Amino acid sequence: MFSSNPSKHRFEKPRIRVKGEFKEVSWDEALDKAADILVKAKRPLLYGFSSTECEAQGKGVELAEILGSILDNTASVCHGPSLLAIQDVGAPLSTLGEYKNRADLVVFWGCNPVHAHPRHLGRYSQFVRGYFRKDGRNDRYIIVVDPRNTNTAQIADLYIPVNPNEDYELVNAIRATLREVDLDEKEISGVKKEDIVKLAEKLKSCNYGVIFFGMGLTQSLAHHRNVDAAICLVRELNDHTKFLLCPMRGHYNVAGANQVFTWNTGFGYSIDFSKGYPRYNPGEFSSVDLLMKNEVDAALIVASDPASNFPAPAVKNLFKHPLIVIEPHETPTSAYADIILPPAFAGIECEGTAYRMDKVPLRLRKVKDAPGECLSDHDILERLLEKVKEKLGE
Amino acid sequence: MSKMAEIKLKLKKQPEFPLEAESITPNNFAGKTLADIKKLPIYHSKELLSIGDFFSVSGKSDDDPKNLKIVIDGNLSKVKRIGEMMNGGEIEINSNVGMHVGNHMKSGKIIVNGNADDWAGAMLEGGELEINGDAGHYVGSAYRGYWQGMKNGIIRVKGRVGIESMLWAKSSKPSNKWPTLYCGSADSFLGIHNHGGTIVVEGDVDRCAGADQSRGTIVIKGKVSRILPSYKKMGEVNEVLLPNGEKLSGKFAEYSGDHSVSKETNGRLYVAI
Repeated sequence: MFSSNPSKHRFEKPRIRVKGEFKEVSWDEALDKAADILVKAKRPLLYGFSSTECEAQGKGVELAEILGSILDNTASVCHGPSLLAIQDVGAPLSTLGEYKNRADLVVFWGCNPVHAHPRHLGRYSQFVRGYFRKDGRNDRYIIVVDPRNTNTAQIADLYIPVNPNEDYELVNAIRATLREVDLDEKEISGVKKEDIVKLAEKLKSCNYGVIFFGMGLTQSLAHHRNVDAAICLVRELNDHTKFLLCPMRGHYNVAGANQVFTWNTGFGYSIDFSKGYPRYNPGEFSSVDLLMKNEVDAALIVASDPASNFPAPAVKNLFKHPLIVIEPHETPTSAYADIILPPAFAGIECEGTAYRMDKVPLRLRKVKDAPGECLSDHDILERLLEKVKEKLGE
Repeated sequence: MSKMAEIKLKLKKQPEFPLEAESITPNNFAGKTLADIKKLPIYHSKELLSIGDFFSVSGKSDDDPKNLKIVIDGNLSKVKRIGEMMNGGEIEINSNVGMHVGNHMKSGKIIVNGNADDWAGAMLEGGELEINGDAGHYVGSAYRGYWQGMKNGIIRVKGRVGIESMLWAKSSKPSNKWPTLYCGSADSFLGIHNHGGTIVVEGDVDRCAGADQSRGTIVIKGKVSRILPSYKKMGEVNEVLLPNGEKLSGKFAEYSGDHSVSKETNGRLYVAI
């Protein structure tokens, strides 16, 4: 991150596409054009927001409300299913410090922190010494449930290779076993019945357990129902001992995006302002679903790269309409943009606030100046908002 | 019953974005002239337009919504929320229809002569929704975050229903409310979190039928791709008595569950053998 600042890969001035070629222009010109696109659009989409600071996210909500647009963040294709499950059955969560100091049983379900969250094991969940876990790794029993024998699975005390996409049945079987039900089947999701009984005993007999779960639950078949079942499992384990769970969030401030959207609109993601008030319905107002049906006629992408993550037909539809990106580098999304607005990195080149995966807000500080004419995401969105208000006559 | 008054709507042009047509109900049309009906609001994305901008309107209204039938023609696959909160009367849709048809309906009848998109009959409180085609996901289900979904009424789907149909359905014995779904076949997680809903499937069902069911009856006359491990086989029966009094004959394997919710349960799953 530090070495890429400044680098030849950075956009240092706003660009607009003229006859297929990018041309560097002034901020005023670029923002004026961007505001024009957004104001003229009947159903604009504002998407991304997960790799930027909370102050910018707040401005994004304001812009969405004034435009009557769709507002969505990357949780839509990430941990959105976790939010759906939490709305259905609640969530026993805690901060990471609690897990570090107390947990003696750690389950990693459908996640691979060795690669995806490399500092997690050392700081919170495995090797670190906690207040009640003075011997670090030796004081913790690690269970990994994953179809793949990942590097995290290789350092676990118990590795359970579940069949792909059959997590729901496994959680379901563990829950029934906890209720002392003798299962009819001999093998469930590739795990033997007696192993499930042993696992249930192990889960019950710890002092303080935690399940960290990742995309393996939220983005395999059954999506939010996997998380729903995992939450119910944790709830039932609390009849026997203390047990909690924690989603392993991806983008550094996706938790913040959900927080900011929620305190402004009441909903975490997939929000539609077209009637002037926020409505929420993933599946109806989520970016991928809208783009698949080509129900968007302009998009502003903030700090995200949907072209790399969305299904190809959705990306094709995204590129059919005017596209504005706030993006520091060339990405598959910005390569096809009509307007590129170059931001500074929050936490390096500008200040801000970000929420950790356990929803603890942290201050981001500035350590050096941004290259060229880069502005913070917050300033860009604020100036864009002023332009939009001007054009709408507000 | 005397012959119902009839209002005919015909979609004049395809909207660019989905229309939010919750104003199309017998309650809203009752006692209004055709000119008044044309002025009723309809959202096209963020533009507030009126029914007359998209539909031609003909026929005659009636003062009593219960004596009013609305017939709608044209391709309505981009028209959402027809019959929302409807209370009495009848709607006949001669086409595929967009999301949320008949959601929150209290009484009356909606017939869809085509396919319906997601959330058909969501949070239904009464009345009858008949879909003579396939339906999307979340048929008769609860909206996000609601713990009580369909509370009463009947949904009949000729074809397939999508995932998580009848999510959080809730019956009530004291007030004699038995939410019921009849369908041709079903996707995964049929009747999840069921709290007393009745589901009868003529054909096959995908995985996880009756997941987290605490009470209720699910009858499957075809095959299930995978019965949940937390269901326990109780035996075989030759007849199933539904809570609404209906009797279904045939040879069924009887399962109790979902035992991941509790050790003792009144939830039942019948699968044809």
